[in-house]
Amino acid sequence: MKKGLRNVAIGFSLSIICLSFGLVYWQVVRSTDLMENPANRRLILLEQRVVRGGIFDRNGEVLAQTDLNDEKKTRVYPKGEAIEPLMGYATLLHGSSGLEAYLGDWLLGIKDATATQALEQAFQLPRRGNDVVLTLDYRLQKVAYEGLKGKIGSAVALDPRSGEVLALASQPSFEGNGLDENWDKISQKPGSPFLNHAFALYTPGSTLKIMTSGALLRAGLNTGDLYNCTGTAVINGQVIREQNDKAHGWVNFNLALAESCNTYFATYGVKAGDKQFLQTAKAFGFGEEIPFELPVKLSTLTNEAAVPHRLDENLLAASAFGQGEVLVSPFHMALITAGVANQGVIMQPYIVEQVRDENQNVLYQKNPEPWLTALSADQAARIKSAMVTAVNDGTASPGGIAAFQVAAKTGSAEPGGDVPTHAWYIAFAPADNPQIAVAVLVENGGTGGGASAPIARAIIESALSQKVGDNT
Amino acid sequence: MKRVWILRLIILSVLWIGLGVLTLDGKANEQILWQAGVFSLLLLIGVAVEKLVAYRGDLYLLPTVQLILVIGLVVLTRIRPAAALKQFWWACLGLFVFYFILYALRDYRALGRYRYLAGLGAVVLLFITLLFGVAQGGATSWLQIGNLNFESEELVKVAMLIFLASYLSEYEEILRIGTVQIGRFSLPDWRTLGPFLAMGGFSLLLLAAQKSLGTALVFFSLYVLVLYVVTERWIYLGVAVPVFLCTGTLGYFLFGHVQVRIATWIDPWVDASGGGYQIAQSLFAIGGGKIIGTGLGNGIGASQVPAASTDFIFAIIAEELGFAGAMAVLMLFLIVVLRAFHISVKAADRFGQILAAGIGILVGTEAIIILAGVTKLLPLTGIPLPWVSYGGSSLLIHFLLLGILANISHAEAADPMHSKHKGREYAA
Repeated sequence: MKKGLRNVAIGFSLSIICLSFGLVYWQVVRSTDLMENPANRRLILLEQRVVRGGIFDRNGEVLAQTDLNDEKKTRVYPKGEAIEPLMGYATLLHGSSGLEAYLGDWLLGIKDATATQALEQAFQLPRRGNDVVLTLDYRLQKVAYEGLKGKIGSAVALDPRSGEVLALASQPSFEGNGLDENWDKISQKPGSPFLNHAFALYTPGSTLKIMTSGALLRAGLNTGDLYNCTGTAVINGQVIREQNDKAHGWVNFNLALAESCNTYFATYGVKAGDKQFLQTAKAFGFGEEIPFELPVKLSTLTNEAAVPHRLDENLLAASAFGQGEVLVSPFHMALITAGVANQGVIMQPYIVEQVRDENQNVLYQKNPEPWLTALSADQAARIKSAMVTAVNDGTASPGGIAAFQVAAKTGSAEPGGDVPTHAWYIAFAPADNPQIAVAVLVENGGTGGGASAPIARAIIESALSQKVGDNT
Repeated sequence: MKRVWILRLIILSVLWIGLGVLTLDGKANEQILWQAGVFSLLLLIGVAVEKLVAYRGDLYLLPTVQLILVIGLVVLTRIRPAAALKQFWWACLGLFVFYFILYALRDYRALGRYRYLAGLGAVVLLFITLLFGVAQGGATSWLQIGNLNFESEELVKVAMLIFLASYLSEYEEILRIGTVQIGRFSLPDWRTLGPFLAMGGFSLLLLAAQKSLGTALVFFSLYVLVLYVVTERWIYLGVAVPVFLCTGTLGYFLFGHVQVRIATWIDPWVDASGGGYQIAQSLFAIGGGKIIGTGLGNGIGASQVPAASTDFIFAIIAEELGFAGAMAVLMLFLIVVLRAFHISVKAADRFGQILAAGIGILVGTEAIIILAGVTKLLPLTGIPLPWVSYGGSSLLIHFLLLGILANISHAEAADPMHSKHKGREYAA
């Protein structure tokens, strides 16, 4: 009997060892596979235990919040389409995007968790994430949204003094509420509603001339020199044409920018040289990642991501008035504008003002920081004065406002092919004490003065009449 | 004696730390804490009672089971507080049953006298269950008496063990040596083997008719292993394997749900939301636990795994306490089985030896069959994990068996003169 018992005991022990190997197999070897198995709802349910924090605009307007109803959580966006696709979404079915995705760690209370949250995390008590307060001003956002409605394009408004993003609209957008049901319908809509057009790349056209102006000034060219614009110019065998072949006659720098004279900038851009042009581009953030909470596509001068070491003369001439291979996002264009407005210093753009835990303790507070010094104060002032002329006496006049001096520049960029030009309008105001910088782009909208200037003007008017920035 | 208190201290700290965490989580309520208090008190009184009547049996048997029990109680509180409340009540009753059997049963040998009554009673009980039983979870294994539901097969386990031990202690020699020569093998004659086979076959058939296939498997393993242990002849195991394969194949074609079980065992992912749901969820839970687990109360399985409080409770333990906790439970079961075998070796007489070994084998096979099913090492057969799964019948019966085991151990230690002569008459 003893021997029999011993054998059975050995048998049981071996079975237990087999079981422990089974556990090792599932809990160590296959654990990750099991977690990622589509039938396993573990990760989703774990996230579900956290009540996602709310997102507010600078005035406390609710942009996104989670409603709790009988343990059931619904993410609601009271402002609907106006804040999409900036806000993005976070659903079980389709994952997350936009601010909902990039602020996910804050909203779920995972990033820099407070002691209570860490404890709650360890014991998985029902947990509240953090609230995020944006620098966004919903009133401006709404103006931008309404101005763009029905078009394809985007509008970005910044405070040039701090880099705060005041409005960031993109059209077409979508309704964030009940997204799961409408997903298929939305994704089939033309114009990519899920794409934030403010971060997409476009040919900048004449708006880039303010950057080229920087290169001219850096090169020390005499801006008082007169240039006779005949409607076309030939540089190194390449014919540069004015828009509608208009001859501007004798212009100096100021008038050339105000009248948006292509041949002047092509000629003087080449005179300044590719070295100055490329250095200025770098100083304005070309080829550099923009330090922002959301990913912005890198603006490029040529078909390569990095800023090249040299540009041949033909490409330089074309690039000087924003054609050639130059691609810029509306967001970056707004930053360039803000740099001119802020005496040549581009502030780091940001949209998260504050993060607060559920007891309103501030966990994170962003302070303005300079990003790049694109121009000297003097250079910025001279470009500004040309932009003022553009509004008072040039192509940018549709963006003018009686009560404030606006400084602006238009652009009608040829995207290539037989389609209407992209309509650009960049502006800041008031010119002597800039509080807002705006970039508006309407895809195939025609001229900048026609399609985009009214939108920019509406945003600026609304911002200045409400004295945005009083509380900063 | 100090050891005894230290062991109890460990058990109570496991219980109260577990409940403390769950209270923080808001999962344990005041009622449960009160019940746990009563249980703790009873557990300590038990030690005093042991001291009072000079219990001299195995000192580790009961504490090990109590540790398994409190782990089960804590996990059950986390899964279903309402069920845990009842389980605490059953646990208290279980302790009472244990001490009652330990002291009221003067001489466990008396049990042997009722072997045919026990065997017959077992078969009749199963038959009654088949006729009048209530179906739960696909198996007709519940008897309803008044408001009380009782899983009759649990009681049958006790009867069968008594029958087995008594019968085998008497016919051991014949079974071992054999009287009929068939080829190279000498086998016992039919008259000896008859009652054993009849009882075994009949009860297995009844269990199969009730569709309690898991329990049938436990019984089959119990019969074969006890027979092997007593006779030490591999031939009984050798015969058992083809018999098992034949009946298994027969069962596969007879029962639809056996086919489903086998199919989902081979590949649960094909139909992870249908037939494979149970086992897939179980594996997700186990996989989610990783090495140290999600922590008590943090797992997802408790709400996702079907039958989380009964058959699949181990998956929840593996998720929330991780590999570490699951291993601990495995080891505790191994300790219980080996302690039972130890008691068996030391037991004063053949009946006691076989009974103790049988109880150890029963607990071992039950644990291994359900744990292998939950971890997909074997096809799943739903049976409760002793002392852990929710269910009064199983808990009480296993405490009763534990009481008998302690009794055997105590008798051996209290009567050392007797033990000197133990097994002499059977010395081979």
